[in-house]
This record gives sequence, C-alpha cells and structure tokens, in this order.
Amino acid sequence: MQEKMFEKISVIFSYNAEKNRSIPYKIRWRLRDYFIKKLAYHHKVREGRELLHIFHVTDGNLDFRIRFNTEDLNWILEEVSDGNVL
Amino acid sequence: MEMFYNKAKPTIMHIDLNSCFATVEQQAHPHLRGKPIVIAAYPTNSGCILAPSIEAKKLGIKTGMRVGEGKQLFPDLIVRTADTVLIRDVHKKFKKICLDYSPDVVPKSIDEVVINFSETTALKRGLVNIGSEIKKRFREEIGEWISCNIGIGTNRFLAKTAASLHKPDGLDVIDYKNLEITYQKLILTNLTGINTRFEFRLNQVGIYTPLDFLKTPDHILRKVVFKGITGHYWFLRLRGHEIDDFKSERKSFGQDYALVKKTKDVNELKRIIMKLSEKMGRRLRESENCASGFHLGLIYDNWTYWHKGHKFKEYSYTTQELFSKIMTIFSQQPSLKTIRKVAVSCFNLQPLSNMTLNLFETSVEKKLALSKALDKINDRYGEYVIYPGLMMDMNNTILDRIAFGK
Repeated sequence: MQEKMFEKISVIFSYNAEKNRSIPYKIRWRLRDYFIKKLAYHHKVREGRELLHIFHVTDGNLDFRIRFNTEDLNWILEEVSDGNVL
Repeated sequence: MEMFYNKAKPTIMHIDLNSCFATVEQQAHPHLRGKPIVIAAYPTNSGCILAPSIEAKKLGIKTGMRVGEGKQLFPDLIVRTADTVLIRDVHKKFKKICLDYSPDVVPKSIDEVVINFSETTALKRGLVNIGSEIKKRFREEIGEWISCNIGIGTNRFLAKTAASLHKPDGLDVIDYKNLEITYQKLILTNLTGINTRFEFRLNQVGIYTPLDFLKTPDHILRKVVFKGITGHYWFLRLRGHEIDDFKSERKSFGQDYALVKKTKDVNELKRIIMKLSEKMGRRLRESENCASGFHLGLIYDNWTYWHKGHKFKEYSYTTQELFSKIMTIFSQQPSLKTIRKVAVSCFNLQPLSNMTLNLFETSVEKKLALSKALDKINDRYGEYVIYPGLMMDMNNTILDRIAFGK
C-alpha cells in the first residue's frame, strides 16, 4: 500500500549535538502516535524561495515521507506506505 | 606479434550505481528493501519498466519490459513511479563524494560518473583502495542500501567494461595484464557500443568474440569491417588507449509527451505544445541561448509517424516565440489525425549575446526582459507560479522525467 496525502501532523524532533544527528522522534497523525525508529533518507528541496526538508522515516511498521517547511515551520505528511502491493 | 596494448597505469574509474532508481526507492522506503520492485514510467500494466530492483532482476524482470509482463513473471511485483527529486539529490551527493578525489568528474548519466585520476595525488593511494573507500562512503553518507559497481581501466571503455563484470557491488580492474582473459569471458554485445547490428557486421568478417575482435589487425578493422576511421578507433579502444575523452556540446533542447487521452482536438494539442514549449524554453533560457531551428514529431493513433524540422531566419528565445514556431510546423501536417505522442525540440543554438536584434521590431528587448522576469518569478516562488493562459489547469499533465544519457 502506498498512499499519497497532504496532511498537517504534529512532530517532536530531536537533535543530538554530540553525534550531529537530527531526526524526527515522534509523529502524531490522525490522533495516533508513531515513534520513529529510523531515518532512511533526508534531503532538501526548494520550491521557489521556500526551503523544504524531506524526511523518509519508518516506525518499523510503516514508512512515512514527511516534510518540514522552513518558511512557515509546518510539518506535512506526504506519503505513507507499508511495502506491500495493496 | 606486437599487440600495442596500453601498458600505462590505470587512471580512469567508472562508477555505476546498481539499479539506481529502484535502489534509491528502497533506501527511502525500508519496507521495500529485499523485495522485487520496479520503477515504471506509469504504474499501469502498459507502463514501461525503467528500472527493476536487484531482486526483480533475479526473477528475469528487465528494463524496457511492460509492467504487465513483469507481473506475469512475479504477480506480487511492487510498482512505483520515479521520485525524480530524490534521485537528483542522490546524484548530487554521489557526485560530491567523487569530487573529493579528483576535480575531473564527468557524469555520464544520472547514475554513472567517470573520474579521471591522472595528475591527482590520490593515485598514490591506489585506485582499488580509493574505490573501496568510495563504496564505503556511499553507504555511510548516502544510505546503507546504496551499492555501486566500480571499474578501473586505462581508458573510459575498459573502465566501463570493468564496471559491468561483477554486478552488483563489484570492483574490477582491467589493464594490459588481464585484458585477454577478461575478453575471453565476454560476448560481443557485452562491449559498450556493440549492439546486435554491429555484432552482425563483425560476424560477417569472422569476428565472433571480443578476443577475435582484439586480435583483428588495424587495417582490417579500418578497411574491411568499419570502412573508415571508426575501425582505427576500435583498434585503440580495445587496447586501452583513450579516445573517448571529449566533451560533447549541447546542440538541442527537446521535450516529449505521450498523451494519456489520444486526441485530434487542436485546442487540446495547442495546450500541450504550449507546456512543452514552456519547459523547453526554460531550459533554453537557463543555458543563455536562443534557437532558430525547430522540430516537431508526432506519433498518430495508428502508430504512423510524421515529423518536420525547419530553420527559421530569426532566432527565438521566449516561450511565445518557441510556441508559435512549433505551431507553424504543426499546421503543415498533411492531414490532422488522432495523436498519441508529441515531441518538440529546438536546435541551431547560439548564445543570446550574439542574437541579432530586428531593426524594425523595437519591442524585442522588452520581450527578452519580460521572459527573464517571468523565469525569475518561477525560480523564486516555484515552478509554474506564473504561466501562459493556455496552460491553465495543466499542473501535472507533463511529468518531470529523468533522461537517459548525459
């Protein structure tokens, strides 16, 4: 299953200064909490003057693509998938 | 017999990301890892497979197959479309790592680069050591699922051949010492640049293997096989002498689009041509060029093809100008039939600074300035924030694609 969407979500983000590592720690989507286990890929993209940070993360059950807009400081969930065909 | 092998130390490294599009998707989506997946142009059964994952390749699924054919081989095949932004980002990181070792890094495509180490201090460490380090850095800095094939040789041809010897995740060197042994293991079509038609031509003169090819004298290749200088180039190339070190110049910009709904409605086709002209124009203007040659290719519903190219007297720069030139050619079709694919391109480029201004048209400079301003707005606020009226409601009609090749 792969579902594309565009929904605002709540995110707790962690930054480790010793390891210089930044990763979303927890996301809340549709009133459920998902604890992020792994950051699979991070990249930046510009949409005009807006700089967006795209994080591909997983909680172990689902893969999420979330984006952080540095202009308005919003978090958007763009995609959820579980790696199955349907 | 003197074989004229290049006995110099290998200085060229060819790096090829394994199943790039699919591997990158698996890197970003951990749940896809270890599964047969394909990246297709469209997810429907008739969509063309652009890249199968390593797991899918093991099941016999190949690039160029239809999604439906892939599903016949493996019904649970996962199909995704390319995330072009993600792939471009991987390419940037990939290139950046390579530039740490040599300033001479040439991308050959989105997933291939050639690094020239001659005259670099990195050579002292040995290219095999550097190759292993690059592989390690890819895994650490891009992603643990990213693997690549590395080939090292005295020229680009041997480096590329070496990179294809042990897939996936190989690291091989071809030099004069193992040249013959390597060729023994290959077939003619394994060699870059030899397709089935070239193979047939070689077979006609008794060359059936790469080793036969290697042992064919220069004058036979020149006078009998290739009937020209190409034969001599092959003589040198096979022996590890560099003849492919040239920078190709861009000579055209083109865009094409396969219509989801085939149509003969001129208004609908105009909208599509406008969007293609806008995309082509953005790239043309970014390169600071203008063009006087235009080409339009149309594939009709019955798979017949019509195309025409024309060089106009004046050079064009703005989207409106490009559009009107393409429409001039469009109107010359012998008959209007239902169209399934449209391809536009512009050629005969020249730098904008050399553009001759029309003595009687005083608004040219205004038009150029307006075009630049529109591009600037789109650069700043996002693609297609401002666009020609004909393109209304066409947001994702023409998808972003990554071209094969440079």
